[in-house]
Amino acid sequence: MSGALILLATLGSSLLAAVIIFLLPERAFRARTGLNLGAALIKLGLVAWMVWGLSRGGEYAVEFPVLEGLAFVLRADPLGIMFAGLSSLLWLFTTVYAIGYLEDSPNRKRFFGFFSLCVASTLGISLAGNLFTFLVFYELLTLSTYPLVAHRGTAKALAAGKVYLRFTLTAGLVLMIGMVALHALAGDIRFGQREILAEFGPERRPLLVGLFWVLIAGFGVKAALVPLHGWLPRAMVAPAPVSALLHAVAVVKAGAFGIVRLVYDVYGIELSDALGLLNGLVAVASVTILYGSLRALAQQELKPRLAYSTVSQVSYIVLGIGLFGPLGTIAALSHLLHQGLMKITLFFCAGNYAEELGIHRIDELDGAGRRMPLTSLAFTVGALGMIGLPPVVGFLSKWYLGTGAIQAGLPWVIAVLVASSLLNAAYFLPILARLWFRPGPDHGVGAWPEERRLGRLETHAWLLVPAVVTALFSLMAGVLAGMPFSPLEWATGVANAEYLP
Amino acid sequence: MSLSGELLPAGLLVLLAAACLLDRRLYRACLSFIAFALVMALAWWRLAAPWLALAEALLGALLTGMALLHGLGRAGSPSPLPPHDHHRRPRHQAAARWLAVLVWLALAGAAVWGVSGSGGLIAPGDGARRPLLAAGLAIMGLGLWAFAHHLHLLRRLLAFNVLGSGVFLLLAGLAGPVVEVQGLILVGLVVALVGSVLGSALLRRLHERDGRVTLGDEPEAGP
Amino acid sequence: MSAPLASPPATEAALLWLVLLVPPLLGLLAWRFPPRRMLPVLLAGLPLPLATLWLLPRVAGGAVLEGSWAPGGLQLHWRLDGLAGLLLLLTQLLLLASAAYAVGHRRATELAERAFAGFWPLLGGLAAALGVIWVAADLLTLYAALELMGLTAVGMMLLPGKPEALAAGLRYLLYALVGSLAWLLGVALLLGATGRLDLAGLAADAEAGPVTGIAMALLAAGLLLKAAVFPLHGWLAPVHASAWTQVSALHGALVVKASFFILMQLWQRLVPEAQAAAWLLGALGSLAVLWGGLQAWRASRLKQVVAWSTVGQLGYLMLAFPLLAGTSAAVASLAWQATWLQLAGHALAKAAMFMAAGNLVLSVGQSRLADLAGTSRQLPLSLMTFGLAAVTLMGLPPSAGFTAKWLLLQAAILAGQWPWVIVLVAGTLLTAAYVFRVFRCAFVEEAPRHDFRPLPAGMDLIALLLALAALALGLGAEWPLALLREGGLP
Repeated sequence: MSGALILLATLGSSLLAAVIIFLLPERAFRARTGLNLGAALIKLGLVAWMVWGLSRGGEYAVEFPVLEGLAFVLRADPLGIMFAGLSSLLWLFTTVYAIGYLEDSPNRKRFFGFFSLCVASTLGISLAGNLFTFLVFYELLTLSTYPLVAHRGTAKALAAGKVYLRFTLTAGLVLMIGMVALHALAGDIRFGQREILAEFGPERRPLLVGLFWVLIAGFGVKAALVPLHGWLPRAMVAPAPVSALLHAVAVVKAGAFGIVRLVYDVYGIELSDALGLLNGLVAVASVTILYGSLRALAQQELKPRLAYSTVSQVSYIVLGIGLFGPLGTIAALSHLLHQGLMKITLFFCAGNYAEELGIHRIDELDGAGRRMPLTSLAFTVGALGMIGLPPVVGFLSKWYLGTGAIQAGLPWVIAVLVASSLLNAAYFLPILARLWFRPGPDHGVGAWPEERRLGRLETHAWLLVPAVVTALFSLMAGVLAGMPFSPLEWATGVANAEYLP
Repeated sequence: MSLSGELLPAGLLVLLAAACLLDRRLYRACLSFIAFALVMALAWWRLAAPWLALAEALLGALLTGMALLHGLGRAGSPSPLPPHDHHRRPRHQAAARWLAVLVWLALAGAAVWGVSGSGGLIAPGDGARRPLLAAGLAIMGLGLWAFAHHLHLLRRLLAFNVLGSGVFLLLAGLAGPVVEVQGLILVGLVVALVGSVLGSALLRRLHERDGRVTLGDEPEAGP
Repeated sequence: MSAPLASPPATEAALLWLVLLVPPLLGLLAWRFPPRRMLPVLLAGLPLPLATLWLLPRVAGGAVLEGSWAPGGLQLHWRLDGLAGLLLLLTQLLLLASAAYAVGHRRATELAERAFAGFWPLLGGLAAALGVIWVAADLLTLYAALELMGLTAVGMMLLPGKPEALAAGLRYLLYALVGSLAWLLGVALLLGATGRLDLAGLAADAEAGPVTGIAMALLAAGLLLKAAVFPLHGWLAPVHASAWTQVSALHGALVVKASFFILMQLWQRLVPEAQAAAWLLGALGSLAVLWGGLQAWRASRLKQVVAWSTVGQLGYLMLAFPLLAGTSAAVASLAWQATWLQLAGHALAKAAMFMAAGNLVLSVGQSRLADLAGTSRQLPLSLMTFGLAAVTLMGLPPSAGFTAKWLLLQAAILAGQWPWVIVLVAGTLLTAAYVFRVFRCAFVEEAPRHDFRPLPAGMDLIALLLALAALALGLGAEWPLALLREGGLP
């Protein structure tokens, strides 16, 4: 198969799945499940093939002109394929989880159709070869996630959908204006053509700085940078697999990935440094990290606490981008992967508690470790990783961020990291304590809010397995960080090959 | 053709137009319109456009007149329109309409200025068309005013027809009775006829269904 | 009509006139024998777009087919360039879709046999009028075609025969007639000043001056009235409220656009450099975007939302005037492409949206937005089509609306005309606001259930195909735009 065909097949697998799901009748449960899993596996296989092909020097690119001097470009480069690998792997788990989670609920056809569309957009984002193509899929992601956020059709869900749209559509417009202005200034910039902007004379510098911040504002909404994060906690009303998708696989990641592309592939890290843009990014990221952690501490319910934790954790990526030097780059790229693994575990577990026991508030979790040991173990792994304890991967991210800060000559960032870790501990450790050490209904104290016996295991197998597997992945990615194709090695490889002076 | 020879039909046209547009008795207004169209045909004849004169007499006077009379429901139809127009436009809500009228009049006035501002338009010795121009402008002004002011649909149709004739006169006055002008006027006559027929038929249907003779959004000010 | 006198290859010219004159004949045939199924309609109509597709390569690369004939000493001209060819193709596809939809509509509702039969000759007349408008190259032909279009459109609006339809149709008729008189007055001034009616001659002979300016103002006033551009849009929304779906679709997609097309043709030939007037038109367009969007947002009935959205979306087209007047060649080229892409995308999407809305209203049996509750479960396909069409209207990717917006933004930024950027942003957000208002109503789960009436599958399918075409035009814009670029501005 030629490179272009594989690329299109990767994108088309979930697009086609979406179309067929829309055509299938609502009751065709088995066909839909098979289609979902089949498409996820095919996509994962194709991405793996491209990884293998890239490592042997293969080329995967498609392009055709859309306008005079502007092309639609899909290209698999190491960074893009890294993100594609993450999203297709996590999509597989999320699909399995969603099939279990939505069993017997209405409107599954609509849900899974848009779900597939959403992943197709994420893959498009990762494989986009220029800003125009990126924008196409970025906006498609907005559109395809709206029906998922508003899925339940309750007043609260519809209101959350409204807020989500207000934020993301406005951001999309800001992004579009920035991109059009950049296009008018410099023409069609392919990702990786860093020299185009670097060659502009000093009189254009202020314009470039202005455009950079316009584009960051556009990306920052999806990446949930403070003060543009307002939509994320409200979107918590969506079903748990959607939360996993929003927080770990697609939406916030798309924003963060956009910033990565902008800094490393369009402006170039040296130009960004020369224009003084990186310090601004570090400042924004530090504020977001601390603010997100503080707000997380104040939440009494599980999912909002996790949501604010996402606000804080995604900014680690932005922080890493802002730290000029190889270590900062590695930290940013590897945390893109690590955060996805850990956060998806946490959301799966939160969903399991809610489905099996009806638990939404943190103080209802007392003693849940005895009732649902595997889920609670997975949650513990994710939470410890977020705090940054070895050997979970979160430790590696923080280690590289810290050393990167010293390399970039910004030692005060370490204080931010320490403060953030303490805050992380302050909002995660009490949960772990409740899970394992407080007596609960299984010890004969009180009762679960709404207990359902969903399966022979502690809960439905389709819900349990993804949570446990992603937790294992988080653990293994940390323990086996030195092995080839571990997220860290991969990020290091990408950083060394492409982005370092 | 002498200048004075043209003044008479031009003046007659303006008079008939005014009679047609100002008369609240609808039957008489329709008759005035037919007379007006016949004088128009005469004017075309004198401009050496016999085919146009024939078309005006046939389409403008005969058929349009019949359509309007049919709309009035005179000829023994079961539900004739009331013979008088009692509708008056209420003052308080007329601001928007008056604005539209003023814009229209400003455009028409600007056209007059543009025409007189470039006097070289009309070849010397062709001054006989000046009365036509003046009559056309006057008739157009009258028609505009009436169209914007009247509520009764039949009167608005009459106003539209008169306005159209004013434009035709201007057209002929500006460019002479060349073949292009005749073509344009012919198309215009057909359109006006079709419009009048459609409008009258609609008016009758509206009147039969719920007894109104104006458009829905204006409140019925009459008794 | 006598044979063309001038030089273009006889086959092409004959084929073009065949393409223009066959629809009225088909219309008359269908009047006598009203079709009962969609397939014969599609089969009868399909050769027309195919013929146009055959003609299109012959006007590529800036080539032009033109000619004239002289009935009774009158010189009439026609001209087929890339733009006209593309618009002709668009028109034929939309007319075909509307005709097929009409058959389905007839099967799904109880219509009076006579009214349904009357639809066909009017459709044929409209097809001929629109085709002639795209290729006419003199003011007399344009005048006749414009009037034919207006009268057939009014006739179609009247077909339902309800009192509201009659009143709205009568208002539309009066406005259209007065608009055409303003046009005629403008023509009179031009004819008096230059003594000719053909567009090429006018472009060469008309001197910039008060007479040309006033003539253009009168022509523009008449055309803006017919195109329902703010503030002359009052007649549009009531007319759509009671019209048949397929008629609304054609009207919103093509009829108002034809007036805009003529205006653009004349403007570029007569007063291409009039910047102040162009900015005035741009400002009117901006107000249309805002006002139309606000009214669509406030509307309580589904068809009203779609109708007001037409008012708003037409405003985007008006932004072309300031971007074309006195700007650099690069900006003008971008704005020129953006305008026609926006026009085509909106035409396809608006027709799809009217049909989807019509299907929803027909199935639910109610026309208020609040009655849509539960449709996301019961009528997913219609709602999906509505959504896909809305993607184009909002200008989100991957749609023609998005690509056109990209071009417009680029033109505005290059020219430094920042107000239009703000207008585009506001318009997009307003569009999103009224579109997602519809979806919020449709997503509500707890609501009394209506009985949903099943519709013929073809009705949803036609709308879906149109919406998908609008999407495909977004990333596949290069082919039509290349035709436009090579042709260049008049």
